[in-house]
Amino acid sequence: MMRTRESATHGEVVLDIRDLKVAFAAGDTAKLAVKGLDLQVKAGEVVALVGESGSGKSVTSLSTMGLLPPNAMVSGSVEVTGHQVIGLPEERMRKLRATEIAMVFQEPMTALNPVLTVEQQLTEALETHNLAFGQAARDRAISLLERVGIPDAAKRIKQYPHQFSGGQRQRIVIAMALTCEPKVIIADEPTTALDVTVQADVLDLLRELKDDLGVGILLITHNMGVVADMADRVSVMFMGDLVEEGTVQDILYRPQHPYTQALLAAVPRLTDVALTHDDEAGRLEAERVAAAAAADREVVLSAKNIAIDYKVKSGVFRAAEGVSFDVAAGETTALVGESGSGKSTVAKAVLGLLPTAEGELRVQGRDLARLKGKEAKLARRAIGVVFQDPAASLDPRFPIGDCIMEPMVVHKVGSKADRVARAKELLAAVKLPADVLNRYPHELSGGQKQRVGIARALVLDPTVLIADEPTSALDVSVQATVLEMLKEIQADFGFACLFVSHDLAVVDHLADNVVVMKRGQVVEQGPTEQVLHFPQEDYTKELLAAAPVPDPDAQKVRREARHRLLGMGAS
Amino acid sequence: MTPKHADDTGSHERNLMNTPETPEAQLASVAAVEDAKLAASQDSLSQGRLVFRRFIRHKPAMISAAVLLVLIVVSMTSIGIFGIKGWWPHDFKTTSVATNGGVPSAEHWFGQEDIGRDYFALVMSGTQVSLIVAFLVGISGTVLGTVLGAVAGYYRGWIDAIIMRIADIFFVIPLLLIAAIVAKTASGAIASPWFLGIMLGVVSWAGLARLVRAQVLTLREREYVEAARAMGASSWRIILKHLIPNCIGTVLVNATLATASAVLLETSLSFLGFGVKAPDSSLGLLISQYQNSFTTRPWLFWWPGLIILIIALSVNFIGDGLRDAFDPRQSGRVKKRNLAAAALMGIRPIAVPTATERTEEAVGNRPPSGTGGIEPAVGPVGAAEEDRKDEEGKR
Amino acid sequence: MLQFILRRLGVSAIVLLLASVLVYFLTTISGDPLAGMREQANDPKVAAQMQARIVALDLDTPWFLRYLKWLGGAVGCVWGQCNLGTDVNGNAVLDQLGSAAASTLRLVLLSVVIACIVGILVGVLTAIRQYSDFDYIITFAAFVLFSLPVFWVAVLLKEYAAINYNNWIANPSFSPAQIVLTAIILGLIVMLFMGGSWKRRLLSFGIVAVVVGVAMPYFTWLRFWQYPQMGPAVIAVVILAVGAFALQTTVGFKERRVWLPALISAVLVMVVYYASWNLLSEPNWWILLGGLVLAIAVPWALGVWLGGRFRPQAVGAAMSVTLTGAFLTIVDHLFVTWPGFMALKPRPISTIGSNTPNFKGTFWESFLDNGTQLLLPTIVLAVVSIASYSRYTRAAMIDVQGQDYMRTARSKGLPERTVILRHAFRNALISIVTIVAMDFAAVIGGAVITEQVFGWKGMGELFQTGLKNVDPAPVMAFVLVTGGVAVLFNLLSDVIYALIDPRIRV
Repeated sequence: MMRTRESATHGEVVLDIRDLKVAFAAGDTAKLAVKGLDLQVKAGEVVALVGESGSGKSVTSLSTMGLLPPNAMVSGSVEVTGHQVIGLPEERMRKLRATEIAMVFQEPMTALNPVLTVEQQLTEALETHNLAFGQAARDRAISLLERVGIPDAAKRIKQYPHQFSGGQRQRIVIAMALTCEPKVIIADEPTTALDVTVQADVLDLLRELKDDLGVGILLITHNMGVVADMADRVSVMFMGDLVEEGTVQDILYRPQHPYTQALLAAVPRLTDVALTHDDEAGRLEAERVAAAAAADREVVLSAKNIAIDYKVKSGVFRAAEGVSFDVAAGETTALVGESGSGKSTVAKAVLGLLPTAEGELRVQGRDLARLKGKEAKLARRAIGVVFQDPAASLDPRFPIGDCIMEPMVVHKVGSKADRVARAKELLAAVKLPADVLNRYPHELSGGQKQRVGIARALVLDPTVLIADEPTSALDVSVQATVLEMLKEIQADFGFACLFVSHDLAVVDHLADNVVVMKRGQVVEQGPTEQVLHFPQEDYTKELLAAAPVPDPDAQKVRREARHRLLGMGAS
Repeated sequence: MTPKHADDTGSHERNLMNTPETPEAQLASVAAVEDAKLAASQDSLSQGRLVFRRFIRHKPAMISAAVLLVLIVVSMTSIGIFGIKGWWPHDFKTTSVATNGGVPSAEHWFGQEDIGRDYFALVMSGTQVSLIVAFLVGISGTVLGTVLGAVAGYYRGWIDAIIMRIADIFFVIPLLLIAAIVAKTASGAIASPWFLGIMLGVVSWAGLARLVRAQVLTLREREYVEAARAMGASSWRIILKHLIPNCIGTVLVNATLATASAVLLETSLSFLGFGVKAPDSSLGLLISQYQNSFTTRPWLFWWPGLIILIIALSVNFIGDGLRDAFDPRQSGRVKKRNLAAAALMGIRPIAVPTATERTEEAVGNRPPSGTGGIEPAVGPVGAAEEDRKDEEGKR
Repeated sequence: MLQFILRRLGVSAIVLLLASVLVYFLTTISGDPLAGMREQANDPKVAAQMQARIVALDLDTPWFLRYLKWLGGAVGCVWGQCNLGTDVNGNAVLDQLGSAAASTLRLVLLSVVIACIVGILVGVLTAIRQYSDFDYIITFAAFVLFSLPVFWVAVLLKEYAAINYNNWIANPSFSPAQIVLTAIILGLIVMLFMGGSWKRRLLSFGIVAVVVGVAMPYFTWLRFWQYPQMGPAVIAVVILAVGAFALQTTVGFKERRVWLPALISAVLVMVVYYASWNLLSEPNWWILLGGLVLAIAVPWALGVWLGGRFRPQAVGAAMSVTLTGAFLTIVDHLFVTWPGFMALKPRPISTIGSNTPNFKGTFWESFLDNGTQLLLPTIVLAVVSIASYSRYTRAAMIDVQGQDYMRTARSKGLPERTVILRHAFRNALISIVTIVAMDFAAVIGGAVITEQVFGWKGMGELFQTGLKNVDPAPVMAFVLVTGGVAVLFNLLSDVIYALIDPRIRV
């Protein structure tokens, strides 16, 4: 039987961080990652620690667990349920982990050991801390899996992590954090790697657990929507400093610090969505506006009923089918959907990286699939591309100038001097200094690399720009800059843009038309006004409802709307 | 923190507190901070330069490079090469009566062998041949392995299957065996160490090809390669400009390691009688010829063996230095202070660097702008180390 | 799973076929088999010899037809009608192959097993003590070892380890300088392995140095080197110590469910030691194998029966007791045999051949004879592999250390030992297994050289004379055997791989 352990009383401070400083040795100097943080988490509450990359929020989470790398140097005080963690010998720190303080990590795909069964990974903490053994531990593990919503837990506990989906793995990671009934849970970006609908489910689960078990949760996130959805109190960090703290209402409605204000302003918002009632009048109005706009379009990219196949071991997998859309010059069409929806596959087909199995794909009236050799190469000139991962989108061995000029070299356009001049022109367009030309990608930040990527895509003055999740790896404020830039440049250059994204708010901000995809099929498509604000299909509504907004009250309404939509009843 | 610690570390504390507010802190957006940093940063180093800088700081590798260089210069200049005469008075063909049983002397540094030939000249000639063969094997094997591996990884499909099945042959049949057959054939056709080296290179590409292929398989999914394909770049442009340059770390490291094992391969073959043949000389051949003199004239056995060891060891260390330079995360490139800290922590290994640190690592040694010069020893780390030490003692 | 294995076997068969064509072709063009005779072709006697060789090697047929003929004979091995052709002198290769293959494979397998155990152990230790003195010294040693030419080491070992030992054993004694030096060196080695604080290091150095310094003259005085003895008392003490160590590192001494099976095992070991004395004085391999099975099965049963929720720990403790006991029992029998063996073979460590010609003795005496013959070649081969395996293991372990799931494991509060053994090592093993299997062919290559130095009539000899005579049949026999074993080894690694890594199980 389980030993019953006293749970912390509601309102008791379970995590108390005072004047925490963390520095890392870098080269001959040290770099301060956290510059004096004060933070308290009480039992039964969720405190969100918000910040962008470099803010020191993840370092904070690791220092509470005593898991900092050895080149880290720490000062200050971190008390977990009254135990001082800083300077605690490893052997004693070990005893606190899992029993007093546990952690939920960001990447469910890599946080679980691939060669051990879920059962082994769940029960080992119980056995290590002498809480339950053998059958008792197994029973407890099964009940935990059931608790976090893994169906058929008794059978599936014998399986290995790779046999579960991403969302299920994150549930397992949460179950693992709960095994020894800790008083504090550090959730480090627990939903960042998940699709929005899965994210909403996992957040629901965390909220329930907090209410049922009375644990304190330190939620580390960069997503203001998640903050609005979950947090009681919020602390905002910027470059290692705590810039602002307060209740969720204070921070989200009345931010004081300029950084918080700028951050909130940068968050793309998706409001005025008719999720629950049918706003017939509004819908008709939207349709009318859209029809008027459609009058004199110059369609440059059109897809008609295209289907795309992937070769897999057991034959052919149809990744997309029956997809049709068109994009006109100066317009943006967005492909939206969750992972596995086939949106990136379609984008790759437009780029000519994947062949189409059926249908017609025309760029400026020419069918890409039928073009060969020189003509195909010429057709490609008309297409520019920006990819998702700034770290991988530029060849690390090319100076930035060569990266930007590469399309001109491939297509033998212009002399050396012309190319340099063009590259400088484009760098100016993406607001980077001209001397970046001779720098190397590793010297640039993610946002800057992505701007270079845009410059490269535009160097041959394309008629179509494919942007495959160009901002999803960027921080919110950087994302805002890049999106704004993209809009401006489009106005100047007048290209047609096919924008692939999972973020509906970004799409609302940017796109004229939207194509919603799910498992390779188009679910709904039409003008943005119509699809995102007066959705007709349940899936679109579900997606819209699942995306959290940075407004606690509105988010509560949305959450409930979502539960009704899914038939879960009000919560 | 307990009061005791506060006392210990008060000075550092103050130091931290007094850190002047950096311009960063006044900018209220990450994008703005990044742009300011970019504008402020001066040095612009290519990856190659960074790697080179790390390499020349790798002591064992630099010492090895110096030793190898000295050996190469001595072996080439002492007895001369390409018919040019060197500074060593004896040549390795003249026989005479061995003075004093051939014991090493001022006249004959490495002594003389049974029929009175000068052993230093013999060993230097053997060293020349072994070095030539080893470098040729290293170069030709590397070129073949890189190209075949990159082609296999880039094209995949049946081209890949054919290349890799051929490479598999070398994992089923010992390289020594195929090398022996090839070497015998080669020395039968053209008895020249140059030809032998190239022929041995032809059979020792399989390992590198596998590594390059594996790396190309991941690289070809990188977005910059997809971008190049999307813009219509030719396959050869992608392979030569994007894929192979990005495998350069693997290629260089393995080229050196291949050269080191080529030294051993050639000497082994010559020892077995399939490699270099008399009148040419090779270190392996010398050992084979004089292994029975061990009890009577041990120096005949020691010198060639030691020189093989020196060549192979220094080339291996250079390879190790290159590996550390190309992949600093795998290396011992930890600052001394941290090294001590890690050592004090005993068996607790280095934990995962967080995402932020990884970026710092990637940025390299550039001192963080604005925050430079902070005294690193913050807080009760010393105390933590003491605790760990105690714990270590108890264990 | 079966499908997976069959597919791998199919691919391997194709590779082996390709390899055999290549080797056959290269061998036939590697020289002129009649080279020595052509000049004197006018001499009728030589002409007749030449004719005989042309017939023996079937030189009038084009090489690919000869290859197909050979292939037909070799494929016959599948259904027991082996025909691997004849060598230059007209002797059937198959007849020479049997004993050659046996001695070479014994050498290679033994070295690989030893190298795996030692290399992986050292690799794991260096990885978890990354950047320690131990790590640096082992790293340096590994570099030296795989920069050493095998043939040179072999000659050195033959000279020093064998000839000097044989001279010494005739009249064993140590000079004071030797004793001091040995004590210091052993002390330093143990100190490096133990690591820890300086106090602890000095202590381990001191203890080892003193024990060695006292033991060496004492054993000499006992005439232990000629008349080694151990006896039941020593065995009892050692297995109790092993059991205590196993308890201490797992659950401590208070848990009856663990110490009871360990204690029962210790008692059983002593009972079996006495009961089996006569049987084991003149055993055979089956009896020894049976003993090994017992030494594994009995503690397992005890652990399962008495262990309760500490079953793994109980089985582990009991099994370490029985296995140590079994090993010591055999060593005791060998000790008893040693003086008789010395009488039969006054220079025990051999430097020529894989067994002493005309050696007649009891089971244990032959065992010692084979053992002393194998000793040096095995060391030579194993040492180089140990160096590379330890480097691979270290790299694999460090690579795994950087994975997210390691942090997850630590965040659960698991002790470092569990984190390393259960989470890191299992994952690292995946790449280690692949690399060890791929390295197998290289070890066989090393064996060819080692055999040459130690004068074994093994596969290497077969290959070398074959190649020198431009005689494909013996060379192909070598390819067939080593290639076949390499394929088996790769297959074994695939199976282990699949066992460790659930992701590739079908």
